[in-house]
This record gives sequence, structure tokens and C-alpha cells, in this order.
Amino acid sequence: MNIIETKSLCKIFRDTAQEVYAVNNVDLSITAGEFTAIVGPSGSGKTTLLNMIGGLDTPTSGSIIVDGKDISTLSENETTAFRLHHIGFVFQAYNLIPVLSAKENVSFIMELQGRPKAEIDSRASELLGAVGLADRMDSRPAKLSGGQQQRVAVARALASRPRFVLADEPTANLDSKSAANLLDIMVKLNEQEGVTFIFSTHDPRIVAKARRIITLEDGGIVSDRSV
Amino acid sequence: MNIILLAWKNIWRNKVRSGVILAAIAIGLFAGTFLASFLSGWMVGTVNDDVNTHLSHVQIHNEAFIANSAIDAFFMKEAVEPKIRAGGISAPMSSRLRVTGMLASPHKALGITVRGVDAADETRLSTIHTLIPDSMGSFLAEGERMPVVISRKIAEELKVKLRSKIVLTVQDAAGEMQSIAFRVGGIYKTTNAIYDEANIFVRYSDLLPYTALPEGAVHETALRFDDLETCELIAPTVTELLPDMKVQTWGELNTMLGMSLAWTDMMAVIMIGIFLLSLSFGIINTMLMAVLERTREIGMLRAIGMSRGRVFRMIMAETVLLTLFGSCIGILLGVCIIIPSMSSGIDLTFLMGDLFEDYGFGSVIYPVLNMKMFVQIICLVIATGILSAIYPARKALALKVLDAVRH
Repeated sequence: MNIIETKSLCKIFRDTAQEVYAVNNVDLSITAGEFTAIVGPSGSGKTTLLNMIGGLDTPTSGSIIVDGKDISTLSENETTAFRLHHIGFVFQAYNLIPVLSAKENVSFIMELQGRPKAEIDSRASELLGAVGLADRMDSRPAKLSGGQQQRVAVARALASRPRFVLADEPTANLDSKSAANLLDIMVKLNEQEGVTFIFSTHDPRIVAKARRIITLEDGGIVSDRSV
Repeated sequence: MNIILLAWKNIWRNKVRSGVILAAIAIGLFAGTFLASFLSGWMVGTVNDDVNTHLSHVQIHNEAFIANSAIDAFFMKEAVEPKIRAGGISAPMSSRLRVTGMLASPHKALGITVRGVDAADETRLSTIHTLIPDSMGSFLAEGERMPVVISRKIAEELKVKLRSKIVLTVQDAAGEMQSIAFRVGGIYKTTNAIYDEANIFVRYSDLLPYTALPEGAVHETALRFDDLETCELIAPTVTELLPDMKVQTWGELNTMLGMSLAWTDMMAVIMIGIFLLSLSFGIINTMLMAVLERTREIGMLRAIGMSRGRVFRMIMAETVLLTLFGSCIGILLGVCIIIPSMSSGIDLTFLMGDLFEDYGFGSVIYPVLNMKMFVQIICLVIATGILSAIYPARKALALKVLDAVRH
């Protein structure tokens, strides 16, 4: 079953001199449970594509259907609510809230969803345990290494029980050991929780773990293969 | 982690910056409250001093006396006092002769106003008798022959002491000059040097024979109520009871004093307004910095699904908490400093000597904590905090999610 479907998706950036097709006529379908890497050289449109799928950017033309709903037609408030309940985000720079502990960071999104306190508490503990941070729940981001912070970010992305997680270059700021560790955790969560992961990357180690690799060049898909 | 708790934690990200603005709010609130209490205490104290010592709350005169203070512009005590009592007013009351004249010692002569009073009535009405130290005699005590109560200032001018003999010269109602010998029986000192320069008291019965006025003639009847508010309530009744007389309240008798009291509140409001305006710029600056340096984080919050309304409330909550916390410290400061000084008073003689008294104001100020104004100031500070938060909060909302995340 497709959870994401893009049809003739285009994003054009215009300046006075020319039009640049950041994403050019992309037709793409993602089914539930995929572990998909979007790869390509810098400027190929990976991040723009992810931003549009995540509702952070709007397409110039085409549509993005998520769970049967065209998110490109939603209002800003509807898109925000949609992101809250359907999409998990992992950012390259972790983007945790510095004044909150690891557990509070993970809990925060569930509180925005209005989930019961007991559920929030158990889910946050469970996820932090799953990413190997059971003993660092009360630590603030500044007391955690980059790898640990990104693991908290992964736990936070999963906390809202999203339909899929978008990760833009999640290992870009990590050393090789931390990156490998994070990947193992993401693979495990993909298998155990059945969460769909879509990530953009340059990192060949991530590509090696992906079960589907979509290659972009000049905004268009040049290859789409399952491994 | 509700928004209030998150806002509270956000406040303490930058302890120095938050501490500075907290101190500004606290000191500002304290200063505003203290200033208002001080000014209010100063004016209320001055009014009460003047009312209690000589002005009283209401004075009744013959219309003609108001125009020229002529000795023959008298009225009969029996025509006024019984009407007031019949009107159900039981406040202390004293009817007086009031004549201008010259007071002379062998050293010097001064122009003065002499009041011929019934000592018992005057003692009930005014506090002037309490302003005579034991060593400086008494207020027209029984048994003394031709006593006069003068101020310390007059005593110094005339170079006279207790028991000194002085001569009062007045023109009687028939136009004849009358010189009367008195002996200083008491020396008072009020907080109003202007009053002290020219006012003396003698017995009604000692002065009347030299005025050529009939027995029972007086120039003024004074009434003192419990407080200024009671005065405002009862003064119109007195006017109704005495349609042929000129009834004036303390504010009408001393218009400068009445205006000063009215202006005190206005001045306090203006000064507090200036403080709140500068405070609001401080808050806007602080919160704007707090928002701008968290651009990426706010972008992230919006990206993961925090609504614009929640972001707005979070920034507003941070500002309101900051303002509330600062206000609490300010109130605490106020309570610790203003309340003790309300009873002990603040003596300003160390600063300006007797200058205040020379201009008719007391030197020791007893701040008055006007609860209504206190609550108003707190509400205004919080309102300032909320209003000042709107611009930074709107700035946070104006951030584009994608641009903010990439910041």
C-alpha cells in the first residue's frame, strides 16, 4: 500500500536570470515499511523533495498524496497538524530543545498531540531504551555527544507514531562509529516498529543499508532500484 | 512539559540577560510604588498636618469676611453652632475671633493673625496643643493670666521666651487702636513654617473686650471630621444647613494644597507611565533577542508540528512569567522597604534641612501605600509585559519554517 505518492512533482526556483528546476516532474511511490535512501550529488534536489514530502515546502506544480490526502492543498495550520500526527523528522543538526532533557525532548511531541501522560512517559522511556539511551534520559542535549543527540532525535521522530520518518542527511555531522550505530538503530526500528524511513544522504554506509535507493540528478529520478 | 514550564525553562537559558530584565522590572515596580507611596504620603501628611493644626476640614465665615477679613464681618456663634448640631453633625467644632494686628516685643514688631478661641473647643478640634513641648508651656491653660500661644519662629523673631511679656495691637470694630499686654504661655511648632510665621492664639474671653464686638461674636467656625473622605461627604450638608454663610472645605481654603494633592496622583501616574514605557522597550529588546537567537529552534518546533498559536503562547508565556516574577521581587522589595517606613517615616532634614517646612511641607514623610494604586501598578506592569511580548511573538510567527530550520 502506498503511503506517499507524488505525481508530476515540480519545484522551480526563479531568479531574474533563469528558472531552476530543483525537482523536475517526479513521480514517486513509497509503500509502508520501506527503508529508502534518496541519493544524488549536491544540488540534485534531494532535500527539496524531502521538504515537499514533509509539507515544509510547497510544490510549484504536481501533487503529493500522503495516505490518500493531497497535502499540497492543505492550509498552513492543516499542514502543521498533519506533520504533527503523520510525519517524524530527523534533522542534520539534531535540533533538540536545549533546555529539555532527552526524555522531555522525546515527550514533547506527544504532549503536542495531547496524549495521556502515562502513555507519554512509557513511550518516551521505551524509545530512549530502544536507541540505547536508557541511562541518559535526564541528560540535557549539551551533555550528550553528537551521536547520542541524533539518537534522541530519532526517538523523538518516532514518538508521535508517524506514518513515516524523513531524515535529511542524518549522519552528516557524525563520526563513522556514531553513524554506524545510528543506522543500526534505524534499521532495527524500521523492522521492529514497521516505521517507514526515507532519508537523503551522501553516505555510502547508509546507502548500503537501504532496501530501496532512489537516485536524483538535476531534480529528476535517474534510477530507482530495490536491493 | 506544558507551555508554561517550557517558557519558564526558556527564560533561564540566558541567566544574565533574564536577570538584568528581571532586575529592571523589580526595581522599576518598586521605584514606581515607592514613588507613588512617597508622594502620596508627603501630600497626605502635609494636608493632614495643616488640617489638624490650623486649617480643619471645614471653615464657616461671613461672606464679607472672605472678601476683606474685616473685624466687623462677624456672625453670632449662636446662629451657627446650634444649626450644625441640629443637622446631626457631632464633629469637633471651634468658633473663633480672627483679627489681624501687630505683635511687639521690646526687640521687634510683627504683623500677625490672632485667634481668640475657647481653649477646650480648640483642643478638641486641632492638634496645635500637642505641638507645644512640656518645656514650652501649655495651650491657654486655666489659671494663667492673659496667656498667648505663639510659634517658635515668632519667639525667635521677637526674641521672647516663655513668660515674656508682649503687646498685641489691634484695631477694634469702632476703628480704635487697642493695645493688649499678653504673657507668652506656650510656644508651638508646626511643620508649616509659613503658618508659624504669623499665627498666634489667645483666649476668646481675653480678646473680645478689645474688639468692640458683642458677646458671642465670632469670625469663623471650624469643623474637623474623621478624615478627608468624611469631609467630602459631610461638607455639602453643612452648606445646606447654613445657606447664608460661606462654607469652605480645606481644599478651597488652601487651593494650592488641594491642587497639589490632586496633582500628586497625576504626577505618580505620569512618572509610572514613563517607567512603563522604558520598561516595555527593555522587554521588547530582551524578548526579540530571545526569539532571534532561537530562530532554528522555533523553525524546528513548527516543523515537527507545533502550531503558530502554541509558538505565540510560548513566547507570550515567557514574557508574562518574566514580568510576573520580576513584579513579585519588586513587590517583596516594596513590602520590605515601604511598610516599615510607613510607621517610622523618612526624615528628609538630612537632605535639605528645614527647607520643606519653610515652604509649608513637613520634613518627615510617612509613605502611604495606596492599595488601589498598588494593584493598579501591578496590573499595568503585567499589561506592559503582555503588550511588549506581542511584537517579539509576532516576529517568531513571521519566521518561515523552512528558512528557520535552515538558519
